[in-house]
Amino acid sequence: MFSYCFPLLCLFYNLWKIFDRRRHQNCYILDYECYKPSDDKKLSTRFCGEVIRRNKQLGLNEYKFLLKAIVSSGIGEDTYGPRMVLEGREMSPTLEDAIIEMDDFFLDTIDKLFNKTGISPSEIDVLVVNISMLAIVPSLSSRIIHHYKMREDIKVYNLTGMGCSASPIAINIVQNIFKTQRNVQALIVTSESLSLGWYTGKDRSMILTNCLFRSGGCAILLTNKVALKEKAMFKLKCLVRTHHGAKDESYDCCKQKEDDQGYEGVHLGKNLPKAATRAFVDNLKEIAPKILPVRELLRFTLLTLIRKMTQKYNKTGAAARPVINFKTGIDHFCLHTGGKAVIDAVAQNLNLSEYDIEPARMTLHRFGNTSASSIWYVLAYMQAKKRLKKGNKVFMISFGAGFKCNSCLWEVMRDLDQDGNVWKEFINSYPPKTIDNPFFEKYGWINEEDPDTFHIPDDYVIP
Amino acid sequence: MPQILPNFSSSVKLKYVKLGYQYLVNHILTFFLIPIMVGILVEILRLGPEEMLNIWRSLHFDLVQVLCSSFLIIFIATVYFMSKPRSIYLVDYACYKPPITCRVPFSTFMEHSRLILKDNPKSVDFQMRILERSGLGEETCLPPAIHYIPPTPTMEAARGEAEVVIFSAIDSLMAKTGIKPKDIDILIVNCSLFSPTPSLSAMVVNKYKLRSNIKSYNLSGMGCSAGLISIDLARDLLQVHPNSHALVVSTEIITPNYYQGSERAMLLPNCLFRMGGAAILLSNKRRDRSRAKYRLVHVVRTHKGADDKAYKCVYEQEDPQGKVGINLSKDLMVIAGEALKSNITTIGPLVLPASEQLLFLFTLIGRKIFNPKWKPYIPDFKQAFEHFCIHAGGRAVIDELQKNLQLSAEHVEASRMTLHRFGNTSSSSLWYELGYIEAKGRMKKGDRIWQIAFGSGFKCNSAVWKCNRTISTKTDGPWQDCIDKYPVHIPEIVKL
Repeated sequence: MFSYCFPLLCLFYNLWKIFDRRRHQNCYILDYECYKPSDDKKLSTRFCGEVIRRNKQLGLNEYKFLLKAIVSSGIGEDTYGPRMVLEGREMSPTLEDAIIEMDDFFLDTIDKLFNKTGISPSEIDVLVVNISMLAIVPSLSSRIIHHYKMREDIKVYNLTGMGCSASPIAINIVQNIFKTQRNVQALIVTSESLSLGWYTGKDRSMILTNCLFRSGGCAILLTNKVALKEKAMFKLKCLVRTHHGAKDESYDCCKQKEDDQGYEGVHLGKNLPKAATRAFVDNLKEIAPKILPVRELLRFTLLTLIRKMTQKYNKTGAAARPVINFKTGIDHFCLHTGGKAVIDAVAQNLNLSEYDIEPARMTLHRFGNTSASSIWYVLAYMQAKKRLKKGNKVFMISFGAGFKCNSCLWEVMRDLDQDGNVWKEFINSYPPKTIDNPFFEKYGWINEEDPDTFHIPDDYVIP
Repeated sequence: MPQILPNFSSSVKLKYVKLGYQYLVNHILTFFLIPIMVGILVEILRLGPEEMLNIWRSLHFDLVQVLCSSFLIIFIATVYFMSKPRSIYLVDYACYKPPITCRVPFSTFMEHSRLILKDNPKSVDFQMRILERSGLGEETCLPPAIHYIPPTPTMEAARGEAEVVIFSAIDSLMAKTGIKPKDIDILIVNCSLFSPTPSLSAMVVNKYKLRSNIKSYNLSGMGCSAGLISIDLARDLLQVHPNSHALVVSTEIITPNYYQGSERAMLLPNCLFRMGGAAILLSNKRRDRSRAKYRLVHVVRTHKGADDKAYKCVYEQEDPQGKVGINLSKDLMVIAGEALKSNITTIGPLVLPASEQLLFLFTLIGRKIFNPKWKPYIPDFKQAFEHFCIHAGGRAVIDELQKNLQLSAEHVEASRMTLHRFGNTSSSSLWYELGYIEAKGRMKKGDRIWQIAFGSGFKCNSAVWKCNRTISTKTDGPWQDCIDKYPVHIPEIVKL
């Protein structure tokens, strides 16, 4: 009798061990904090016009082109820029400027995050920093460790060059470490450095980055401790990365290089939208089976089959292509705010309504394109608007240089209310009645002038 | 030297006592088991075969009992194999060998220095003195853009250098291992000071047309110890993803970072850093076990960034003229020693044999209880490792470590010769050193290797490898054509 129990006990123990291991491998977000720069760093359209005007390299045509780009970009009047632009030194930025820009962000946001969650810096076991355009010695991750006096055996990774899609890559590293070790707390810091990447030449494809990118950043605290499950905000369900670097057109469409005169800048090629769409479609193809309910997948497969068969027998008159409905598996969409065109294209592809893309549009309007941290601002908007309820699924997707498209799906662990968010002070004024740039009509005068006789009148004040 | 022992005139006898002690403690299990086995054997022989058969028949073997015991054995075996972390194998690695046209002998370097810094003869003198004592040889290489007077560090040139170094290393690795680009599942590239957009990892994906679901990571800013950080990341990823190959590329791109000013502390890196790169293939597939060269045993990382002096000792900043360069502080050696001590305290218990650990424990207890004046016992790491690969950061670093760890000249030979032939190639120097040991035919199966690297931050990382199969000297590598010249004697000061 006793000898029967023993193997049974062993079996149960084995099964429990496997289950227990799985339990400890979940990736939870404890909290996150987005960076709100101080108000003296605001870049209005008027100021942008001024910045363009004082660049002696740019002529009338460039002025027109850039103003048009800024005004129709969907970026509002309250976005933030690096300090050196506001101080008028953008033509000769120094390393000090870049470091100050980063310090402003670190000291503000990471402090707030630690205070909010009550976790001390010495409890952090993993630190991942991704700031694409700045690589200094010692690394920015060492800078954070130095300032917060973190432990000696910390696992630290400093990712650079990975573009606007770097957030899911950082989460991927943390997710993998969580699967190998228990009771780990991780800190991800994501931002973008604009100071040293500021383009000072006159190639149009490169100046666009100056106009569209803005200062911003986010610090996220993650853990796989089961004890902290109650306090967690989100749980990671699934993460998919797609890399189209193998295709030459995708690789070359967003590239940092020197222009003909030797000025360094990031060149955005004309086939950027096409490369983005291809990577986007591939990524969706891979993640859709993992996140959508079986019902939707079956429906889509059936419709595709039916369409194929009707096409075979009936050569004329193609039926409309069946569109997979992502809203059956996803409640909220966090889209990378690459620009108005990007948001519109994604919305059209995924068949999203205005309500779905409102967070992304509002983030683009209020904070601009903050590169890798933009999806966190979008998430913060949804939280501030009290849209996130327990059990909701949030889908994050971002694109970046390379060409990469990375996406992940989060499940909301508890009803989230605003409690001290970056949008706190002004959420009630969103969405505004119109987000069109107020100066849209005012710049019409430029179109009528003849370039040879054009001069800005002395009493003209840029509105 | 442990001074708990009396004076060294009678050290000959002491040596044998120590040897005997080591054999005793390290093989203590064998010493217990052998008498027991002998006892059992004697007992069996005494009883005779018929008695043995009687005992056998008297055991009742029930079906249930048979089932249970076999189940138990199978269960224990499964649990044991499943709970073991996957072994990570280093299948092979390849180092970049710069072409002879990029050579920078001392005369070339000094001539360039005099022409570029003609207004600062003191700085030129300083560079000459550093070069004389640096331990570098005449065959180290700098990238083509730096050979211009003045150097032309454009982004195009930096990309060009990256392409040449990284692609040559990966091409040679693929030729050696026969791996196809489609088989690579994980890609990690580390280059400290050059990080273009799109990243160097995207550049590799583009050139070799790697798969679109590849997991790529681009680490930078992590200094000369970044190679081992990449290996650590690869190890964590390979634990999670079964049946995968990971390609790790470690390099340092010199072109954009050549200091063009005249501050002396920042001219130091110009004299030491040279072109180099390595590509390493790691795998956790069982079928690679037979052809892999090494197995990864431990990786230990120590970060001293919390300490102010450690953080500032390797610092990138602008000089008063606005030129960017890396400032190496004067306490670099002291800080390196401290970081090494921290690293050793963690790695010691993992790798040292029981004899050393006991000695260390006894001295520790002694110091605490009996007499605090006893000198701390420095464990003898030669017991734990056969080969040492110390990052060739500079002659002073190697000297300091040789003193701290009490290593012989042969142990640090690989590091010194790598510094002489290739200069300080930053994160890839460990792989050149490993190549040296293999080319000399010293690598035998079962040998344990300790790789130590320091980097800005201040970090000290170490990795422990175990050799999987004896490596013949015929393997090609960067040392192939010159290994017979080595080791060379490197004088303290080379008169220029």
